[in-house]
Amino acid sequence: MQNTVRRKGQINLSMIYKVFGGVLFIYLFLGFMVIPCINTLTSVFTAKDRAGNTDPFAVIRFFLAGSMPSFVWNSLKLAICLVVTVNVVGISIVLLTEYFDIKGAKILRIGYMTTLIYSGVALVTGYQFLYDGNGIMTKWLVEMFPGMNKQWFSGFNAVLFTMTFACTSNHALFLRNAIRGIDYNTVEAARNMGAKPFKVLFKVVMPTLLPTLFSLTVMTFITGLCAMSAPTLLGYNSINPEIVRLAGSTTADEAFPQARAALLSVILALFTIVLLLFLNHYERKGHYLSVSKTKAKLVKQKIQNPTANVLAHIYAYVLFIIYMTPVVMIILFAFQNWSAVRTKTLDLGGWTLSNFFGVENYSYTRSNGKVTTRVGAISGVFSNDKTVGGIRLSFILSALAAALACVIVVIAVNYIFKFRGKHKSKKRAVLVEGCLLFPWLLPTILICYSFRIFFNNEVWYVFGQNLYYKENVRLLIIIAYTVVKLPFALRMVKAAFYAIDDELEDAARNLGASSLVTFLKVKLPIVLPSVLAVFALNFNALFTEYDMGATFQSSEGTTYAMVIQSMCNEEGRDGMNMNASGRRCASTVFIMIVSGLILYLVYGVGSRDLGERLALREKRRKRLQKIKGKLGIGHASAEAAEQQETV
Amino acid sequence: MIKLSDIVVRFGDFEALHNINVHVKEGEFFTFLGPSGCGKTTTLRTITGFIEPVSGTVSMQGNDITNVPIEKRNIGIVFQSYALFPTMTVHDNIAFGLKIKKQKKDEIEKKVKAIAEKVDLSDEQLKKAVSQLSGGQQQRVAIARALVTEPAIICMDEPLSNLDAKLRVQLRNELKKMQKDFGITTIYVTHDQEEALTLSDRIAVFNKGYIEQIGTPNEVYNYSATEFVANFIGDINPLGKDITEAMGLSQAENHFIRLERVHVNTDTASGEVYVTDGVIESREYYGLYIKYYISAGGQTVKVIEKNDGINIYEAGEKVKVGIHRADVMSYAKKEA
Repeated sequence: MQNTVRRKGQINLSMIYKVFGGVLFIYLFLGFMVIPCINTLTSVFTAKDRAGNTDPFAVIRFFLAGSMPSFVWNSLKLAICLVVTVNVVGISIVLLTEYFDIKGAKILRIGYMTTLIYSGVALVTGYQFLYDGNGIMTKWLVEMFPGMNKQWFSGFNAVLFTMTFACTSNHALFLRNAIRGIDYNTVEAARNMGAKPFKVLFKVVMPTLLPTLFSLTVMTFITGLCAMSAPTLLGYNSINPEIVRLAGSTTADEAFPQARAALLSVILALFTIVLLLFLNHYERKGHYLSVSKTKAKLVKQKIQNPTANVLAHIYAYVLFIIYMTPVVMIILFAFQNWSAVRTKTLDLGGWTLSNFFGVENYSYTRSNGKVTTRVGAISGVFSNDKTVGGIRLSFILSALAAALACVIVVIAVNYIFKFRGKHKSKKRAVLVEGCLLFPWLLPTILICYSFRIFFNNEVWYVFGQNLYYKENVRLLIIIAYTVVKLPFALRMVKAAFYAIDDELEDAARNLGASSLVTFLKVKLPIVLPSVLAVFALNFNALFTEYDMGATFQSSEGTTYAMVIQSMCNEEGRDGMNMNASGRRCASTVFIMIVSGLILYLVYGVGSRDLGERLALREKRRKRLQKIKGKLGIGHASAEAAEQQETV
Repeated sequence: MIKLSDIVVRFGDFEALHNINVHVKEGEFFTFLGPSGCGKTTTLRTITGFIEPVSGTVSMQGNDITNVPIEKRNIGIVFQSYALFPTMTVHDNIAFGLKIKKQKKDEIEKKVKAIAEKVDLSDEQLKKAVSQLSGGQQQRVAIARALVTEPAIICMDEPLSNLDAKLRVQLRNELKKMQKDFGITTIYVTHDQEEALTLSDRIAVFNKGYIEQIGTPNEVYNYSATEFVANFIGDINPLGKDITEAMGLSQAENHFIRLERVHVNTDTASGEVYVTDGVIESREYYGLYIKYYISAGGQTVKVIEKNDGINIYEAGEKVKVGIHRADVMSYAKKEA
């Protein structure tokens, strides 16, 4: 691509595009990434004492003297424990379904993968509903183990238990791919040399999985450190909930709350940066690359020892029950009437759709004997104004942010690839990429907190507006959503652009297409499935997103996750919202359907190329003709289709 | 038709092409042949306009096109990977260039149908996605796409390199036939000397950014201008000191002989023919012919003999090896 012949007369126009694009990019990067975060950082050292004097170390002194380190310690404790539990469960589920020959592995895999569609705030509230003091699962457990503490599901235990099973999605996806990529010939070679099955597992299989496991461990650690919904809802004092609490506090309530929140988010950012840099350094070493020329597909290993085989099966199915029970229970309770949901007992005669659709009144007798009717106290997900409002708001904000992230990233990656291999412009391309990856280094909470504090003033470069004020907060949420999703979008879209053969671009140019036409007609259609997949996955993640929703919560910015959270607290108060928990279960079912549909569209329909789509269309056409033929419509064409099929 | 005059191309400090001069004639099948990194693709990309030379000129039909943009050069290209657009049907791939040129819809349809017929693509195939076609069919689509805009010349960059051996031979023949049918000037890039010899009217042999020789297949094979060309085109025996001294050849030169020019069990030694005793070391059976490794004249001499089914020698068998002086190719030794 070097020394390419330039088109005359297009230099000026392209210069204008470049300057405009460059200025816009710098504005967005500085204005919505750098300046708010620097403001947070400086606020740590510009706290004022009671006399109004700036004391650079006041917050740090307060931090060291007070109880703040306990939040950091709690987060670290959670992260460390999660690394152990998530890896144990994550590795187990992958080995049980992909490596060992366990009966019913396909069904087990479905159970273990339910966290892909059942996660976040929906999962946490679901676990809370089933496992708290009077939850149906706890009742069953207490019946089985009478000495058990009914209140076991609270604080650290609850958070660890919930997050252990919620955070194995990455193992289910990435470790599964890694184990499937193992060359079976290496296993056979080890067996041939006399190694026993478990020796093969630990000496041949596991070492090849180590890079993936290492990445998963670091990501799990960061997830534990930055945990938000589980600690908030299940009552555990870790960093993130404290930051959100402090962000909403005032100096009248306590000493420099904002500066303390800033300090906590900076501490979190430091941990994250160090871990990610460490991970990046490790990944660049590129260990254990497969050297196989022709890989053999992995054959599942039968556990020869009968006792071990039985124990493995029991373990597999116990895990399956733990994964599946909340899903099944939530689905069942979503179709139960309000009294069954409130008492958390399944009523086989109490099936209803009222948690999804329709509005019903609720009548009850007060202590004075008077019967009171609460109009509309029972309402479905799609009939309750607040819930529908939350869904609508989250839908719009998530869709806009996901689309915006895709547009920014596609333009940026096209720019990055355009100058690939050109020494002079390479630095610019690297810079653009670095800017877009910047939010990856920072915890979400730091970005959101920074946005909330910085834009809660009239900021000159956003036309003097306060973006945290009234409806403006929605714009702020869109910007935050977009910023946070840029790194993921960049990594995925960049991978898609790598798949474009340079010669395609050359061919288009040779046939007379301009850069814009080449981009729109050749490159974009190739990367479009990946871009749509990124859009769908980002939308899916943002639709029920909790961390940012909690940080920006306000009257005009109550997202779906916050509506779901509120359903935990408002059930049946004064005869209002009688089916709040039932509606929450129905919401979870709705989220599962949306997530499932998106995953199907992304990995099912979206992964088909033009050839597969045309073949499918042809197959459908023939089938339709055959049916028409049988029904006597278009007889001749049906006969032709049949003849063709016979041939 | 196409003339490159003193073309120099640099990538940073690296000079990829040094003063390249080529003249491709009208209707000719001209091949750039050479090992990887020798500059053949760079030369092709300079002709097509993807690379701008530091100095020198590219002219087509007498007009200087050195600074003419790619799309205005009227050159069709068949890429190594074919570069077919995967998100378009075969029809849309072929029609792409015509649509860009904003031709009328019925005109486009007419031209696409006509070219498809010429390259033997059916109406059914036109409706398919390129991924649904075989390698050979994809090649035809690439040629059709390159030809439909009626270019003055067509450039092909190793279009057979991604195919298996059998299909390569089959498509090679089809390619030659198509070129003759269309009568279009063709510049073809390959590193495969067999492909170059069978397809080309003339060949330019490249090495390290220079052209070592331009000539017909017969010229470059039988009258290789340089030691590099002699070694690169076909298999060859370097002759050692014992043989060259016995033959009275100059020691200031390196001497070579083609495998098929070495004779086994010839007994007509004369002033022009050198005959020595040899022992068969091993043999490789190729069906049509047999390749022998013979220990003779203090070295191993490779010989190709037609497989007539009668004169087949076994390992260890004693034979006479004959070399005709006129068949020896000699090149001055390069200074160290």
